[in-house]
Amino acid sequence: MKQERFIALHGREWDLLQSWLSALERQPKRTLRQEQALEFPQSYRRVCHHLALARGRGYSHEVTERLQRLVQQGHRVLYRPPAPRWHRVAGFLLAGFPRLVRAQWRCMALAAALFYLPALCLVALLQLRPELAHTLFSSAQLVQFEKMYDPANAHIGRSSGTDLQMFGYYVMNNVSIAFRTFASGLVFGVGAIYVLGANGVLIGGVAGHLTAIGYGGPFWRFVVGHSAFELSALVIAGGAGLQLGLTLLAPGRQRRGPALVAAGWVGAQLALGAFAMLLVAAFIEAYWSSIAVLPDALRFGVGALLWLLVLGWLWRGGRAGTHGT
Amino acid sequence: MLDTVREIETPEGVSLRLRAAGALPRAQAWMVDLLLRLVVLFVAMIPLALFGKGGNGLAMLLMFALLWAYSVVCEVWLDGQTLGKRALGLRVVKADGTPVTWLPSVVRNLLRVVDALPGVYGVGLASTLIDPHARRLGDIVAGTMVIHAQEPPAGQQVPALPALPLPQVLAADEQAALVEYAERAGQLTVQRQEELANLLTPLTGQRDTAAIRQLVAHANWLLGRA
Repeated sequence: MKQERFIALHGREWDLLQSWLSALERQPKRTLRQEQALEFPQSYRRVCHHLALARGRGYSHEVTERLQRLVQQGHRVLYRPPAPRWHRVAGFLLAGFPRLVRAQWRCMALAAALFYLPALCLVALLQLRPELAHTLFSSAQLVQFEKMYDPANAHIGRSSGTDLQMFGYYVMNNVSIAFRTFASGLVFGVGAIYVLGANGVLIGGVAGHLTAIGYGGPFWRFVVGHSAFELSALVIAGGAGLQLGLTLLAPGRQRRGPALVAAGWVGAQLALGAFAMLLVAAFIEAYWSSIAVLPDALRFGVGALLWLLVLGWLWRGGRAGTHGT
Repeated sequence: MLDTVREIETPEGVSLRLRAAGALPRAQAWMVDLLLRLVVLFVAMIPLALFGKGGNGLAMLLMFALLWAYSVVCEVWLDGQTLGKRALGLRVVKADGTPVTWLPSVVRNLLRVVDALPGVYGVGLASTLIDPHARRLGDIVAGTMVIHAQEPPAGQQVPALPALPLPQVLAADEQAALVEYAERAGQLTVQRQEELANLLTPLTGQRDTAAIRQLVAHANWLLGRA
């Protein structure tokens, strides 16, 4: 068949499809309700056939390019992602995320060790030799920490600022750290190892120093509430980064490319879960932990309850039998 | 192949040709996005300043959203295009040419941290130069690529002339070359048209303007015009 005849036979269908696709870009909802939307998959597949014919018969650039543009546009519409379903977010947070954390338990355990070991060692060490705090931190930093947790403060854990201001600050700061920890894990895990270790040293150093100089009361009262969500989320983000770096180093029985893509999907879900945990942590930290007048029993009781909740959620969440399959 | 075109076979059995976008247009799109976000932030600061210190917190939340969420939300909702990419005619797609979804978009935008590492996107630049499809590390891990969304303008029509049968049978690729010459002739200077047409003097027996006319007439015949 000659090219002119081919165009004369099918040109009208191409024009119709083109105009429908253009209308779809301008007004998606209305166009999808039109009668023509039902025709689209068939029409698109016919045009795919025309493109294959045009290429096979060696029709001119003009025709193949036109069909290729049409097919590319149609491909994007036919294979567009499904609309987001919000109940899947709840399902992910309740079941999928804890399951994913357990599936990566080796990396999570490694991340936890990298963070908690230096922290606990420093807390213990600073009780025995308090002067070591001056090698860890500069004097200005020490003064700032002491000012934040001075037992004489009305608000604890901050030198100034309102609840809302601190909420914004915690979200920006903590989530950015978690995301960077995850992403920097791609560099053979080095970034994640560094961030986890450095945060372990920092947090352990502050806790040890404040306890040693007798400001331990306000400090522990402040951190007990949000520590469950915040520290677990940091460890999970670090574990996600380690997982990514280890996949790059040792992809196992897969080629490196596909293995990395799979690890990236897992890591992104872990990072999103950590993000949700850090939102909760920031909320607790800004609106609950900072209230100075609460009795200690309530404060530590709630803190213990939250730790139990987080650990129980990560340990049991999404098990078969409790949440279906 | 030196070309940046990536061929993807669709489930319908035809191949799509996606043109990978290099570092320069992507850097420009990034600059546009950066400026837009800075403008939004500064404009929002003015009413937020009225809230005092609480406004600071809201500004911080806004900054967080602009820094981490902006690209992901735009890419998923605006068909693979942040506003900067839309301005530059770029689009993020998955490796199989389908629109980008939430998780790949999250991966490629979180791993921006690594691509941006030494100073201004050093790792990303190196990666786009090495990778045959100009992907940065985030794109490789996410299984996505950035393509030129706007196709080059379609070629011109073959000018209509009375059809003239070819004096001898030509192979398929020779016929295609002849038709493409006739299609593109309008974009060339007359001198270049003549130069090309004169190569076919053994076929046409003509030179210069007459040769051009005769080749176009042959092309009309090949297309099946009367």
